[in-house]
Amino acid sequence: MQIALSQIGMGNPHESIHRMIPLLEAKGLAKHYGTTIALESVDFQVHEGITGLLGHNGAGKSTAIKLFLGILTPTSGSAEVMGKKACESVDVRAHLGYMPEHDCLPSNPTASEFLTHMAQVSGLPPVFARTRAADILRHVGLAEERYRSLGSFSTGMKQRVKLAQALVHDPTLVLLDEATSGLDPGGREEMLDLIRRTGKEFGISILLSSHLMGDIERTCDRIIVLDGGHISEAGSVSRFTRETQNIIVEVDNNLDELMKIMIREGINATVEGPLVIVELDSEDQYDTIRDAVVEADATLRRLAPRRHGLADIFRGGQS
Amino acid sequence: MTEYGGEVFDLGYQHYDGPREGRMRARKAIWVNGMRTALGLGQGARAKILPGILFGIVILVAVIMSLIAAAPDSGEELPTHADYYRFISIVLLIFSAIIAPELLCPDRREGVIYLYLVRPLTITDYVGGRWLAFFTVSMALICTGQLILFIGFTLGADESLTYLKDNWLDVPRFLSAGLVIAIFTTTLPLVVSAFTTRKAYAAAFVIGLFFITAIIAGIVTECDQDELPSRGSPSYERALEECEPQTGEWGKWFGLVSIGEVPGHVSDIIMDDENESPVARQVRKLPTIIPILWYLTMTIGSGYILWRRYRRLTV
Repeated sequence: MQIALSQIGMGNPHESIHRMIPLLEAKGLAKHYGTTIALESVDFQVHEGITGLLGHNGAGKSTAIKLFLGILTPTSGSAEVMGKKACESVDVRAHLGYMPEHDCLPSNPTASEFLTHMAQVSGLPPVFARTRAADILRHVGLAEERYRSLGSFSTGMKQRVKLAQALVHDPTLVLLDEATSGLDPGGREEMLDLIRRTGKEFGISILLSSHLMGDIERTCDRIIVLDGGHISEAGSVSRFTRETQNIIVEVDNNLDELMKIMIREGINATVEGPLVIVELDSEDQYDTIRDAVVEADATLRRLAPRRHGLADIFRGGQS
Repeated sequence: MTEYGGEVFDLGYQHYDGPREGRMRARKAIWVNGMRTALGLGQGARAKILPGILFGIVILVAVIMSLIAAAPDSGEELPTHADYYRFISIVLLIFSAIIAPELLCPDRREGVIYLYLVRPLTITDYVGGRWLAFFTVSMALICTGQLILFIGFTLGADESLTYLKDNWLDVPRFLSAGLVIAIFTTTLPLVVSAFTTRKAYAAAFVIGLFFITAIIAGIVTECDQDELPSRGSPSYERALEECEPQTGEWGKWFGLVSIGEVPGHVSDIIMDDENESPVARQVRKLPTIIPILWYLTMTIGSGYILWRRYRRLTV
């Protein structure tokens, strides 16, 4: 099997740039719309890999992305892209990709024509632009549909084209704003898989903005949580999803019988839907739980440590 | 028999290590894409109909006028390059009104503008690229007809070389006049298109603006018919030239109201020709600098409004 250079982390001309300096850096970044505060003096850095920007609607995620793209000018502070101020450097955008949340595709051209044009607008010569368009359409799984007009595409296919136009010029960093918006569960899973591949296999760094904790948890390495224009949490996703002192017991039958036995044995257990959550006092209780399951004649499906979810951040579970 | 064997490798994602031409390539892409849109290239047959018809008319009128000029002397006054502009100006205005919105409205309605603005391209580059694209098409259209006409006049003359020697200065003249007309017919429809996402609204507004102002100007610059001698009498033309419109002294200023005729006044000055329309007769009574200043105000003002409108566009 032949391994592409990209798969072992070579071949990206911009790699040396983002080893030395952060890809994105917010320094006291603030944006006000009249009396409305979208972002208030935030400081953070985005490095290589997949970073999630999590927050409720109106938390300031899209504003932060637009400030880094140079579309908006900060009220105070600075938004820097690879060491350059975003609102002052147009050329740095040649190394950025952006996938907006809203519709942004023309209906007339074919996918191939549109991507070729977008590659040229990103600075690629026509011959290279055509090749890149064909390559990217293959990577996002639209090679067969490349000569169909975009107006005839389904929502899922349009999302893929939106991602493809953000990748067609091989950016160093791509900013995805609510990338799974409007997709059904199947389409959402495929899109998240594509994003993961873009980050892990293609070696393109990603800033994924979303209000869906599941998307961030399953895709990102690091996370920045925005709340009301402020950063409430930042760090690696694994830090937020560390193990707790609770264990989950999932059985297919005899749940009530199992609970009675556990309470009799002095185990601190509660029922949450189809699960039994046990607050562990000592390691010995694993044996007691096993014996209780056997005594209740229940079919054990899962016995595992419980991890924090990103949802706990919003519930104050990390504080 | 030789057996050919092969194996297909999936090289995975390949990073791009070719040239990146930055902002200049981006501007060029916007310009080329704008011209293709204006001409309906890369689109269905329906999009090509109007540009096709227009190029057909432009060429046909030039050929017919060349044939009339080449015909044996009939005693009638021969057509000129200025006459040609008068013939095609109405067609050009309609073309501009319908096609110019195609270059701006869909990008905003479909949201493609947001993809342009996050690339190595400023809003000035985008607006400038679109403007230049439509200007290029308009200029090509105008020059094609005038060049055919000039070639026709030259070949149809009794002595072609003598005609060429005596009239070669017509070429820079009609090119300059064409430039004036193309700048105007590009800028005005584009500024209207910047205020709506609906192509039909923009087209209807521009056509309406041209026709309504032409009708108003025609009415207010019309001569008092009672003061004119009967049509056909030897003094009719002179009386028409000197007559005072019903609106009195202000009549000559009201001639500037007809927006569609503004570039025509300047092109007549460049071509050293006299248009016989009532509006043009009145405008000619003004100092030469006035229609030129009015033209500059309209084009530069419209261009500035267009740029300002897009500068305020936020995602």
